[in-house]
Amino acid sequence: MSIEVKDLQFRYGAIVALDGVSMRLGPGAVGLLGPNGAGKSTLLRVLLGFLVPEKGEGRVLGHDIRRDQARIRRVVGYMPESDCFVAGMDAVTFTSYFGELSGMPRQEAMKRAHEVLFYVGLGESRYRLLDQYSAGMKQRLKLAQALVHDPKILFLDEPTSNLDPHGRIEVLELIKDVASNKDIQVLISSHILADIESICSSVVILNKGKVAAEGRMEDLRAIRYSLYELRIKGEEAPFLADLEAMGCRVDGTEDRLLKVYMPAERDRMDIFRAASRTGVQLRYFVKSRTSLEDLFAGVVGVD
Amino acid sequence: MATVRAKGYAHWEGAPVERRFPWWPITRTGIMLAFRRKRFKFAFAMSFVPAFVFLVGLYVSERIDDFRHMIRGGNQLLNITPNYFKAYMTNDFLLLPIVFVLAFAGAGLIADDLKHNSLQLYFARPLRKADYVLGKMSVVAFFVLILTALPGIVLLIFKLVFAGSFKFLLDYPWLPLSILGVSALLTVFFSFGILLLSSLSDKSRYVTILVFMSYFFSDILFGILYGIFRKPALALFSIRANIQQAGAFLFGQKLPHAFAAGWSFLVLAGICLLAAAVLHRKVRSVEVIR
Repeated sequence: MSIEVKDLQFRYGAIVALDGVSMRLGPGAVGLLGPNGAGKSTLLRVLLGFLVPEKGEGRVLGHDIRRDQARIRRVVGYMPESDCFVAGMDAVTFTSYFGELSGMPRQEAMKRAHEVLFYVGLGESRYRLLDQYSAGMKQRLKLAQALVHDPKILFLDEPTSNLDPHGRIEVLELIKDVASNKDIQVLISSHILADIESICSSVVILNKGKVAAEGRMEDLRAIRYSLYELRIKGEEAPFLADLEAMGCRVDGTEDRLLKVYMPAERDRMDIFRAASRTGVQLRYFVKSRTSLEDLFAGVVGVD
Repeated sequence: MATVRAKGYAHWEGAPVERRFPWWPITRTGIMLAFRRKRFKFAFAMSFVPAFVFLVGLYVSERIDDFRHMIRGGNQLLNITPNYFKAYMTNDFLLLPIVFVLAFAGAGLIADDLKHNSLQLYFARPLRKADYVLGKMSVVAFFVLILTALPGIVLLIFKLVFAGSFKFLLDYPWLPLSILGVSALLTVFFSFGILLLSSLSDKSRYVTILVFMSYFFSDILFGILYGIFRKPALALFSIRANIQQAGAFLFGQKLPHAFAAGWSFLVLAGICLLAAAVLHRKVRSVEVIR
């Protein structure tokens, strides 16, 4: 396991940010998903050693998060959520500077800075002052500084925030390339479900500082519940009450489509039986592929 | 030819090195960035004028007969003793340029990192808080040493060269140590002081104003209080007076104020301790509001 944490607890004063978080993450791209304030960024900061947990333990590539922070930071590339740069520098100086601070020899850091800046698409503007960079360029630059020392794990905190749709797609492509084609593990914190869905093979859903769900994307989709979409004719309330009594969660859409999240142990025939019992006609019935959005809504309890 | 992007991501073949001084890249970059500012370059160049004037003074003192018609009773002035070196190192003609240089070179050292959230980038590297602070402090130390220790020692060497003998050094063998001692005092004090002020705001312009204000205001305060109470100990309120008092002590000269130099050392050390405490609180990878 590349990242392993057990019973992590951290609080900001009275606010509990992490409440007994335990997880084991293997290789590949892992999404850290959750609504704002779920504890995603705090978890990344604890893993990097920025924040010391009150309780619990953790390891990143076998290094203890309390004792071996320097070793962890040598093998981790971190892309923070907020804009950050050093005023008065150009991109090459900036990227090589942080390469050097990661332990690279000066000349190697400079050479490598050129390479990663071309890689993230800033090759042509690498000598421009960072003060003149657009939001999208700053986002790429943050990725470049995270990659410059060739980390074994990348921590990306909201990598697509503040980007226009085009910039978002480009940054996601880059992350996908790094995550899928190279032996670099990527841990992405995001509240944008589509981003996680398009990149990650596994996901950890955090809610109110706790792990709400964790696992491979396919497994989570499959084992939790089945999703059916249906339209009915007749009295809706008794039918819905019957479904809910069976442990199903039902969401209605604007075009009168009902989305039924059925527990895995239930059979689809139960829906027909419920319809029969409550005297409604099923006019449309289809088994739908659950998306991460559905899973997210299911475990976090929000629409 | 394909671009690197087209070729895709490539791994770095090298291995990271364990640096003896992990803070050195911070220092080197800080010095380099200072020289990119026009105002700084001007202030830095002008700050060597006092050293040049004192060098001319040394030359004239050794050729006093050639210049007698120009000096008219300035023999006392050009009688070179350790007091001459003390005058160079602790008077306003050097302290003021140092303040100007540091206001332009040092104000943004931490303030800019606070403004642009870059502390988290530093601490995502294998750097300790002490490495970061030491790296920034060394930028200030570099400029203070280059304006104090370097000209001080060079002036001493030129004194010996112009005199053509080592007699002056044999008469005052402790003088090089005094020069280095005062340089060290100024370096430590300004390093802590400038970083303290730089960590108080995320706007380097405000910090520049703070640097000037704390130097001048402390002196004005001393002037006002002395005018009212007539007590020499009130000089402890003035940064400049404390430096001059401690400097005179290190050069073994008459103290400018009528109280023990130890008090001035205590005040300067107190400011350094305060700075260390504030830096410990302000320099952190993430701002935790509890």
